[in-house]
Amino acid sequence: MTRRAPSRRQVLLGGVAIAAASSLVRPARAASTYALNPFEVAGGVWMIEGAQESLDAANGGAICNIVLLETDAGAVIVDTGSTARFGAALRAFADQRLGGVAAVFNTHHHPDHWLGNQAFTDRPIKALADSKAAAEANGADYATALYAILGNWMTGTAPHPPAQAVAPGPVVIGGRALRLIGEAGHTGADLAILDEETGTLVAGDLLFLDRAPSLPDADIAAWKRALERLADLNPAGVVPGHGPLDRTGAALAQTRAYLEGFDDRMKRAVTRGLSPMEAILAGPMPEFAAMGANPEEYHRSVVQRWTEYESEALPVVGGA
Amino acid sequence: MWPLHREEYLGGPRDWQQDAAVLTLAPSAAEDAAHVPLIVDATGIEGQVRRIVVTIDYSPIPLVLTFHPGRALPLLGFGVKYETGSALRASVEREDGSWAMGATYVAAMGGGCTAPAAAHARPDWQERLGEIRARLWPDTGRLRVSLRHPMDTGLAPGIAAHHLTELELASGDGETIARLELHEPVEENPALTFLLPAALARRPVTITARDNLGYRFEGRVEAQS
Repeated sequence: MTRRAPSRRQVLLGGVAIAAASSLVRPARAASTYALNPFEVAGGVWMIEGAQESLDAANGGAICNIVLLETDAGAVIVDTGSTARFGAALRAFADQRLGGVAAVFNTHHHPDHWLGNQAFTDRPIKALADSKAAAEANGADYATALYAILGNWMTGTAPHPPAQAVAPGPVVIGGRALRLIGEAGHTGADLAILDEETGTLVAGDLLFLDRAPSLPDADIAAWKRALERLADLNPAGVVPGHGPLDRTGAALAQTRAYLEGFDDRMKRAVTRGLSPMEAILAGPMPEFAAMGANPEEYHRSVVQRWTEYESEALPVVGGA
Repeated sequence: MWPLHREEYLGGPRDWQQDAAVLTLAPSAAEDAAHVPLIVDATGIEGQVRRIVVTIDYSPIPLVLTFHPGRALPLLGFGVKYETGSALRASVEREDGSWAMGATYVAAMGGGCTAPAAAHARPDWQERLGEIRARLWPDTGRLRVSLRHPMDTGLAPGIAAHHLTELELASGDGETIARLELHEPVEENPALTFLLPAALARRPVTITARDNLGYRFEGRVEAQS
């Protein structure tokens, strides 16, 4: 996503353009609805699987995994999706089936994980302090970008960043013991949650499976160190941020292999004098080309990370 | 816009045509509207290329750059800013005055020209203004050059235009190899790919550049395998 703020004028123009298009081209179009399909992956651990794709009007932005943990005080919800409407559907499920909502955690500041917070503003919404700050700083830009991509799905969505900063460590909510794990690498602050009762690790975007990792805020070296520590937890099951439930360690192995493959690809490209467009044209690393959201995530990652690699490879030869 | 731009930036040539030999390679959608990577490759054009003029149809400043390849090959890798989704065109003038045009469309959410340069978020950005990084590969003739410069368009609120206007490559004996006229839509901290014939790629190359405030930048790069 963009790190530079669009002007207020662009935000307004974007909204006007979308309203005009929907009223002229698609009159009286019924609101799109999300078909949530929650399933219990371990005792009292419910997962809603996102599409293994990029944000798109066809998937309504429902691309990341959501976890609901049953407690005596209602559900603990981990991540809330991309839109207010998705958040509302999630809330309805928790209210009807899991006795309400005890608390919400956002694993990190990327918008597909928290723009659904709007449905939970009467409940504690928690995140690591740096994620909270990053969501506050970028929320308006993210909403603008998602309106442009998702159109009608975003109707009524306004950013509600997490309101409470949490520190890593053990926590008990409604009788359920959780371990909050503070890491970094996918972003500057990545929260993972271990459910002590079932040994399920809710990994957020520290782990991807069969869907290309996204790297807009990545620090690959830090991310690889975080993966080592997650491996030490020996979880019984893993819910990655994107992709299917994993009980075999595949998400850890695949995420590590992807990061190493991308790192190697970029280092070779800059030391041979390629330009970023040539690296894009080379396509994703062959062994990862069939993943969900590729080649577009690979293309995005080249643009996002190129300068770091190239400034290492090009020596300073002059100046003013 | 193209007929107007043809008139204004190419001088209204009568002899021009679209030509698939002018490769204009860009992503179909801009991930970052301030850094859209491109390659213009006119090495498939017969005969000597006099200049390549790059324009963006729907940009507040349509003229991106003019490349005079001289003794270099007519290939240039670079990056541009996009204010909105639009066609980008590379018009190639041959020695006989005829023109061949290649084009590509880039979808963009926009804002690349009106946003402040990222440099302005750093209080010390002026200290490294004009820093040149470069490397020359003798085996392939590639030269990659990057210059630290905000490339301000003057369209971001409260920030005056401040951008590179020219860049020149010269061989060790001071003879010009290639020349570029740069304009505001070129990306911040521009990074450029040139392709040199083998004889030139084995010897040192000097890089000189100027900006619209009169600053002058210079560097020298030697072949490195």
